[in-house]
Amino acid sequence: MRYVVGYSANARGRDAVNLAVSLARGRGASLDLVVAIPDAGPFNAAHAPAAGYDSYLHQQAGEWLDEALALIPSDVPAKAHVRSGESDAQTLIDACDEFGADMLIIGATSNGLFKRFTVGSVASALLHAATVPVALAPHGYHRRDALTRVSCGLGDRPGAEELLEFAVSMAANRQVPLRVVSLLTLDAGDSDEAADAARDYARKHLAAALPAGAAGVPSAKADVVVAQGRSVEEAVDRLDWEDGEVLLIGSSRLARSRSIFLGSTANRILRALPVPMIVVPSDYELKHLNHSTSNDTSREAQA
Amino acid sequence: MSTEHATAKAAAHTHPGHGLSEKGLKAGSVGLIGAVVIGVSCIAPAYTLTAALGPTVSEVGVHLPAIFLVGFIPMLLVAFGYRELNNAMPDAGTSFTWASRAFGPWLGWMGGWGLIAATIIVLSNLAAVAVDFFYLMLAQLFGNPELADLTTNLPLNIATTLVFIALACWISYRGMETTKTVQYVLVAFQLLVLGWFAVAAFSHVANGTAFDATAIAPDWFNPFAVESFSAFAAGVSLSIFIYWGWDVTLTMNEETRNPKKTPGRAATVTVLVIVIIYMTVALSTLAFAGIGTEGLGAGNPENQGSIFAVLAGPVMGPFAILMSLAILSSSAASLQSTFVSPARTLLSMGHYKALPHKFGKISPSYKSPSYATIASAVAAAAFYVITRTLSENALWDTITALGMMICFYYGITALACVWFFRAEAFSGAHAFFFKFLAPLLGGVILLVMFVKTAYDSMDPEYGSGSSIGGLGLVFILGMGVILLGVVLMLVMAKLRPEFFKGQVLTRGQ
Repeated sequence: MRYVVGYSANARGRDAVNLAVSLARGRGASLDLVVAIPDAGPFNAAHAPAAGYDSYLHQQAGEWLDEALALIPSDVPAKAHVRSGESDAQTLIDACDEFGADMLIIGATSNGLFKRFTVGSVASALLHAATVPVALAPHGYHRRDALTRVSCGLGDRPGAEELLEFAVSMAANRQVPLRVVSLLTLDAGDSDEAADAARDYARKHLAAALPAGAAGVPSAKADVVVAQGRSVEEAVDRLDWEDGEVLLIGSSRLARSRSIFLGSTANRILRALPVPMIVVPSDYELKHLNHSTSNDTSREAQA
Repeated sequence: MSTEHATAKAAAHTHPGHGLSEKGLKAGSVGLIGAVVIGVSCIAPAYTLTAALGPTVSEVGVHLPAIFLVGFIPMLLVAFGYRELNNAMPDAGTSFTWASRAFGPWLGWMGGWGLIAATIIVLSNLAAVAVDFFYLMLAQLFGNPELADLTTNLPLNIATTLVFIALACWISYRGMETTKTVQYVLVAFQLLVLGWFAVAAFSHVANGTAFDATAIAPDWFNPFAVESFSAFAAGVSLSIFIYWGWDVTLTMNEETRNPKKTPGRAATVTVLVIVIIYMTVALSTLAFAGIGTEGLGAGNPENQGSIFAVLAGPVMGPFAILMSLAILSSSAASLQSTFVSPARTLLSMGHYKALPHKFGKISPSYKSPSYATIASAVAAAAFYVITRTLSENALWDTITALGMMICFYYGITALACVWFFRAEAFSGAHAFFFKFLAPLLGGVILLVMFVKTAYDSMDPEYGSGSSIGGLGLVFILGMGVILLGVVLMLVMAKLRPEFFKGQVLTRGQ
């Protein structure tokens, strides 16, 4: 298991490192810290040759990475890399390919003054293009112990089954409870009925996703919760969240196959969520399912 | 799976060195045309012409074409040396680093200061020209000439210019860059509009509708016909400015498809394109407007600051708005990209401990020289506010001071090349010419121009005729900036003596 960490030498980068340590500890994964530096575009005419500045950037990136490695506890294996490309987002996606990463971990923002998540431009670009699950650390994330619970946001659109299977495996591999979360935005009145419907729907899918008999999440440890509110944000606020919890979300159906596109609901969840969020590309699980028949074993969801 | 993990963990915690990637420039991404586009965009001909044509005519009159041609010679000679230094010591500090390695910390510091000062001055001038054409374009757009006069409203002009500088600084700070497509469009548009201007001006002359039809004479191309050495020196130091940026084509290497041939060819094609466009525009301007000091005449002090702002309307009629658009877009693009130069040199000086440590900061988010970029913007803004309040014609005087400053730091850089490579100067014909003779001649010519222009500019009538306490404003600006550099250097030597003891950047090869 390898996780790529998109590192920058600021609060956002430290959030990402903390989350990466936490995720790696529950799974015995190794970390690849990547500092993305921009390619000097030759068409940005300037009275200064670009080559010289590049060596400063590399030197500085190396110093940043030394600081970052010093932050990582000794039980988590980590390496550092400098990579360059046209955009930071593309550089990180390429790095994931290069290292065969199972997840990309980034800090969502460094200035979420009013909301916990204000998605920065790099994070936003990644959420539209990444081909591996992207974990977003909220502002000021400092927890470094292994996860204590996995939550999975369930919608009613195609892809929910695959996402749930991914979540089940993730919880099983980390031996933590799974919680399936349905978020409902409702007007008062028919709320009980709708909540029951959502609960049944979630239970049905959960039952289908739980591995029959095999070593998985004991069904006692899988919980279904329906949260209601006038808005998605309010529904998220009403749920209780453990410190060591993450929320899995599937990417929107607008996504190209195997890439992430954050839907509007997911975007709103992100704004209210106090814990890290992992966005899983559409069809990502399908790939893993196909591979599982051929005994390929290196994906996050894999047992 | 489990064994896989075990090995991964066993191999774990050694933290091996960073897997540094190769240099960031993508090799082979720029062909000949791309390199020429880069060269032309660095020169920004529409902007340089509108800024320098007037002041040069005021010095050398109809001999403008001759001076434009002669001005290229020292630039060419110095650029050879620049290329040799860049190949031997590629560094973002350029003149600062090279002069420090050749002459030691003190002259190196002043070389860096000259570069920074020149680029800061050009930033403030670019912003001011952009603002002029911004209001002119508004006037043309809404058919309301009063809008164009807004730029003469001092507080409004200063406020708009500061906004332009701040915007460009912000874009540069965010590390945003002009893309290939944008650059191609900007360059093509500039050349097209300048060509249009020249054709329109010549047809006015042919139709007898020119303001002051003047017959082109062979004498215009004779640099020795310039009436005095003072005028000649002033003209040459101004025309250094119009080729400034051309040297960039020579320093492109890895990014070109054929590093052996492309840079040389691109430099040649670029200079041909530029000389043709300069000659055509210079001749058409003189033929249309003459050098009279009245009305539309190119010698009219009112027209010196920005010649196309005055001439585009009468020459191009309703299409004059294209000229405004071309100059506004090219000067705005240059404004943003020029920020890179002083910022990188300041960063390099901070890095080598020639300036306080914070100048060496790189933004973790945007990977740009954060502190140095903002410092450059503040300096450019301050320079503009001071010049604008003191001078009757700020654009004119800044361009003259700028020419001086370029002569100063290019002169030092060229001589740094001669001195740095002195051991190999006579090791072969190539080394003799490119590392010794060309930079020596170029450096000496530029420093002579610098001293002569500086001396002449003490005259209160020099340039636009602004003066303080009996000294010309151009002299005060130029020498003031250099003296400020000396003072700051002495302060730095007190604060951070390491660099000045030669312990950081060592001399010699």
